[in-house]
Amino acid sequence: MIPVRALRDCLDGVIPGVVSTCAPDGTPNVAYMSQGQYLDDRHLALSYQFFNRTHQNLLANPRVTLGLIHPQTAQQYRVHLTYQRTESEGPIFESMKAKLAGIASHTGMSGVFRLLGSDIYRIERAEVVPGSTLPAPLPAVDPLLALRTCMERLPLSPDAESLLDAMLDGLQAHFAIEQALVMMLDPGRDRLYTVASRGYPTSGVGSELQVGDGVIGVAARERVPIRISHVTSEYAYGLAMREGAERQGLGDRLETEIPFPGLAAPGSQLAVPIPGAREPLGVLFVESPTEMRFTHADEDALVALATQVGGLFRLFLAELELADEAQSGVPRDPPPAGPPLRVRHYAANDSIFLGDDYLIKGVAGNILWTLLQDYQALGRTQFSNRELRADPRVRLPDQSDNLEARLVLLHRRLAERQACVQLEKTGRGRFRLLVGRPLELEDMDLGT
Amino acid sequence: MPAHPTLQLDPDLARFIAGGVSINAGSASATGVPSLCRAFGCRVEPDAGRITVFFAAPQAADLVRDATRSGALAVVFSEPPTHRTVQIKGRDARLAPLGEGDLACVNAYRAAFAQCLVFLGFTEVMVRTLLDCPDEALVALTFTPSALFNSTPGAQAGTPLIPALMPPPAAGAP
Repeated sequence: MIPVRALRDCLDGVIPGVVSTCAPDGTPNVAYMSQGQYLDDRHLALSYQFFNRTHQNLLANPRVTLGLIHPQTAQQYRVHLTYQRTESEGPIFESMKAKLAGIASHTGMSGVFRLLGSDIYRIERAEVVPGSTLPAPLPAVDPLLALRTCMERLPLSPDAESLLDAMLDGLQAHFAIEQALVMMLDPGRDRLYTVASRGYPTSGVGSELQVGDGVIGVAARERVPIRISHVTSEYAYGLAMREGAERQGLGDRLETEIPFPGLAAPGSQLAVPIPGAREPLGVLFVESPTEMRFTHADEDALVALATQVGGLFRLFLAELELADEAQSGVPRDPPPAGPPLRVRHYAANDSIFLGDDYLIKGVAGNILWTLLQDYQALGRTQFSNRELRADPRVRLPDQSDNLEARLVLLHRRLAERQACVQLEKTGRGRFRLLVGRPLELEDMDLGT
Repeated sequence: MPAHPTLQLDPDLARFIAGGVSINAGSASATGVPSLCRAFGCRVEPDAGRITVFFAAPQAADLVRDATRSGALAVVFSEPPTHRTVQIKGRDARLAPLGEGDLACVNAYRAAFAQCLVFLGFTEVMVRTLLDCPDEALVALTFTPSALFNSTPGAQAGTPLIPALMPPPAAGAP
């Protein structure tokens, strides 16, 4: 049997595979295949782009012989397959469609290569074709060792925010992945929002995109890693975002005020869902200016890493349910001095402006507005995640909503803007509001 | 034995398939299991109307067994930079001894294919390794084209190319 790793390297679309089929009358047919995907040790999928002789043949005679060449070693393989079915939707199809779009763009075939379906085959037998080969190059990073080292720090993280930091730091230090970010899912709105990033000129914390848009959005929708070795505009998040903003009114115009942080000219991208109990908690996204930067082994390692992060994240959420209430009887902070700052809240989308500067919107905006109202009316500065979750004013979309991620977003956004309001952690599931100036709160859409 | 009609390859097509293109050939067993092998170049004999394709014998065992049993052979020629692809099928494939000049033909093919792929970013050593084979291990399958297809990717893929149809060779001709 061919080592799985070699088979997967061959299927990555660098060198097209060759497919041999046979008509019922015995007439052979040979065709080039753009892309394949390893599914498990018994199955693989090949791209189906045109209803041609190959497809006619395999509907009558499902036996196929696939010729592959390893892109580094020149080793040739032959895989004997039996056609089983064609899938035209779902995770396998979407993952192959994204990859094929990259290959098509890279090979100047964008208008021609469109995935009609993913043909699923059972692997009957595989053989190594005798011939000369080159030694396989040693990878600069050993993904398994990098994964182990990176994972060691994760359980030491005291909260969700430092967990995400530990993961992104680990990607830089051990995987030599320079550009990475984490987006969390807002299940009520089917959108993802950036909570942490590394390697970009601006953090992009607070930027959003729609589930289903681009590499990240498809990974979230299909709950499957999407890895593209040659990036194409079809899956570029930036383009999808601009188009979205043009269609929409004020609400989406605000999103453009926090631009997505991604590379202007990415070569490779990989988006890995962070699994939750039902829908994904979010997506880990890495990219590089270099084409073909991320291997199958990188994908495997990042899937394992994201699974670990997802598990720990859910543990934090569960612990928060058990955390203490905010302590009462804490002395009030002395009121700040200086000129007052006007803080506006637009109820239509819960956007908050500090002075003339847009800060944040959505659930995170509503959380801040709730905190500021209590601060203004009661002088409160101590809060707990648990009471916020129960507070009807916060209007969390549903019980499973990821409040912790929204607080990470709010904390980072306030810190980045060096706002006169800051959040400071005071313990597990508890935090304190720091206000540096007198505030004038204005609810702009009351009565409308 | 019935004579097969001979398809005359036009000079452009003959030049194309004899250039630095990727060549793969397929046949099938009596039970319909397809065979497949990468070729190391080809020779076109316009006068005889035959095409001879070269392989490394250890790689081509299944293909040679199937093609010489049934005579059925499909050969696909594809130019990597342009994706121009042509498939030529025959029904009378047989093993042929390597003739004078065939080694030079294989060597010229290796150089032309390497040059084509180096232009696309592959290393020459990679292509040379792929096409490496001791001279004495080369074998040749020869066949008369009976059908030509445009196999360039796209909706038109699989449509027959209309060639000039030549009269079958006279009885007793080689």
